[in-house]
Amino acid sequence: MKLFEFQAKEAFAEQGIPIPAGMVATNREEVLKAVKGTGLPCMIKAQVLRGGRGKAGLIKRALSEAEAVEKAEGLFNSEYNVRKVLVEAAVDIDRELYMAVTYDPVDARAMFIACAEGGVEIEKLAAEHPDTIVTVTVDMDWGLMPHHVRDLTFGLGLEGETAKAVGDVARKLFKVFRDTGAELAEINPLFIVKSGGVIAGDGKLNIDDCVAGGKYPVTREYFDSDTEYEAALEGIPYIPFDGDIALMCGGAGLTTTVYDLVHYAGGSVAAYVEFGGPNYTRARDAMRLCLKKTCKVLLVVTFGTIARADVMATGLVEAIRELKPAMPIVTCIRGTNEEEAFATLRAAGIEPLYETEEAVQRAVAIAAGRNA
Amino acid sequence: MSIFLDANTTVEVQGATGKEGAYWLKHMKEMGTMVVFGVTPGKEGQKIEGVPVFSSVRRGMKQHAADLAMLFVPPRFTKDAIFEALDAGITKIVSIAEGVPVHELLQIRRAALSCGAMVIGGNTSGVISPGRALAGCIPYWIERVYRQGDIGVMTRSGSLTNEVTAEIVKGGFGVSTLIGVGGDMVPGTRFAELLPLYENDPETRAVVIIGELGGSMEEEVAEAMQAKIFTKPMVAFIGGRTAPEGRRMGHAGAIVSGGRGSVSGKVAALEKAGALTAAKPSQVGPLLREITAAR
Repeated sequence: MKLFEFQAKEAFAEQGIPIPAGMVATNREEVLKAVKGTGLPCMIKAQVLRGGRGKAGLIKRALSEAEAVEKAEGLFNSEYNVRKVLVEAAVDIDRELYMAVTYDPVDARAMFIACAEGGVEIEKLAAEHPDTIVTVTVDMDWGLMPHHVRDLTFGLGLEGETAKAVGDVARKLFKVFRDTGAELAEINPLFIVKSGGVIAGDGKLNIDDCVAGGKYPVTREYFDSDTEYEAALEGIPYIPFDGDIALMCGGAGLTTTVYDLVHYAGGSVAAYVEFGGPNYTRARDAMRLCLKKTCKVLLVVTFGTIARADVMATGLVEAIRELKPAMPIVTCIRGTNEEEAFATLRAAGIEPLYETEEAVQRAVAIAAGRNA
Repeated sequence: MSIFLDANTTVEVQGATGKEGAYWLKHMKEMGTMVVFGVTPGKEGQKIEGVPVFSSVRRGMKQHAADLAMLFVPPRFTKDAIFEALDAGITKIVSIAEGVPVHELLQIRRAALSCGAMVIGGNTSGVISPGRALAGCIPYWIERVYRQGDIGVMTRSGSLTNEVTAEIVKGGFGVSTLIGVGGDMVPGTRFAELLPLYENDPETRAVVIIGELGGSMEEEVAEAMQAKIFTKPMVAFIGGRTAPEGRRMGHAGAIVSGGRGSVSGKVAALEKAGALTAAKPSQVGPLLREITAAR
């Protein structure tokens, strides 16, 4: 789960990482109130989850109250679905660093990544000059130790008070990473301020979905559409696309494969709904999500083990009876107890297909208006 | 022969009396797996499918030596259950649980590396050496999918594994050992770490890997092939060639992966290392015929 910048900064501030004075605003009045707090000049930052906000013009600088209001309203009315802006005091910067804590799945340790040059070009820098990137791995059972922090600050070529301040941020950022169950805690840029000291200029915090629920409940603002929000509340993976064929498939690997096969056959995908894993008994909920998107055909492909074929076929037949989808349905449900599944489908007047590619060809033909 | 698991491997099952544990314990036994004891705290003295149940792994190990721990344990108890098996000296562990927090997955893999143990999973259907033994939940009775043979299979996926393995059988082959390393962000064991086992297994003639978008496990396989750690024929199927890019983890994700993770990059790396890659599952059988005939 990706959090908004203001949420990441709240988590940083809780551990004592310095952040700019700032306030979240959702309308003109709140922007004016916020500017009183931050002073001028100030930054107006759209709170959206997409990356590259600076390049997309979603971060503005304002020199007066009137300009702050005008820029904020520009963001609220933009195509990017901006509901909140973060109004922050502008910071007088000496230089920028990059610092993140994530993990290395090979080494199986947490990993600091840092660079003496922060900012938006960090990925390019990492690719072209990998030697400028400092990494320090930390065993989750040992925790962060003084030598880790020394490796980090000496690696960045820092000295004196700056080294001390950056080391302090490292310790606190690791605590954020650990306590929130994060997959990523990133500060880019980390400002070194002209007056001394450091301030987190931006904040990214991605929380492991397995642990996010308690502190960060699922709300509408994290999603682009009502259906995506609804699917998340239901706990059913759902991705909308713009094509003709709705996929109700079991397992991420099989679904991406079916997605490929549809494209190879000249078709296009309307939506993907996960009908496998823990959701294999929820044919009705899955189909309801599928039907939210206009589509010409519903393609069901599964090859389950624990997600038994007979259970899925029975669920599908009941869902069809209840939801009465208008479009044709192509099924290829196989796996545990598949013979019973085929019988159930036949009894309901549905032809059970056996080969994934045949089912895909059939669905693409129907979507194209050809009789399969 | 096979790798990791054969007819002589002794297995203890943690979570043996739960609904899923009991169901698959029965199937594991029916297939011929040497299940020596089960573990469920508080149920010591009971038997399940003729297998004695103990309240802890150590208590069971006093009476029966187990080579392998099979866990049917919910995610919130998984870390403890794996460490319990490690504490009891077991060096092969299979865990199917989906939803173990990433920080715990890091601790699990690190502990396994420190103990010289191999944890397969989580978020997997397990390991099968068809015709000999099963550790996990794999429908071995579907003959068109699971037939004994000389092809090793490594996979990150569940349903897709059944799909691709059916194509291996359709191509006239069977499987020596299939290992599902699972779909977690931090798998306990990585593809490349299994390659030396397949390399040294006289019964494995070629290996099929079933990969996915993201991570670097497929690239690591290519590196192992380049380094001649693995020299047998290899066929790879990686789904998602036309799929939009998956989720991104800020700049750090891109820096860690160093440009790895895309399907096209994986396919290019594997082909450069000498593997044949299939765009569709149905090409896996013919490609296996091609590459095994060539050697």
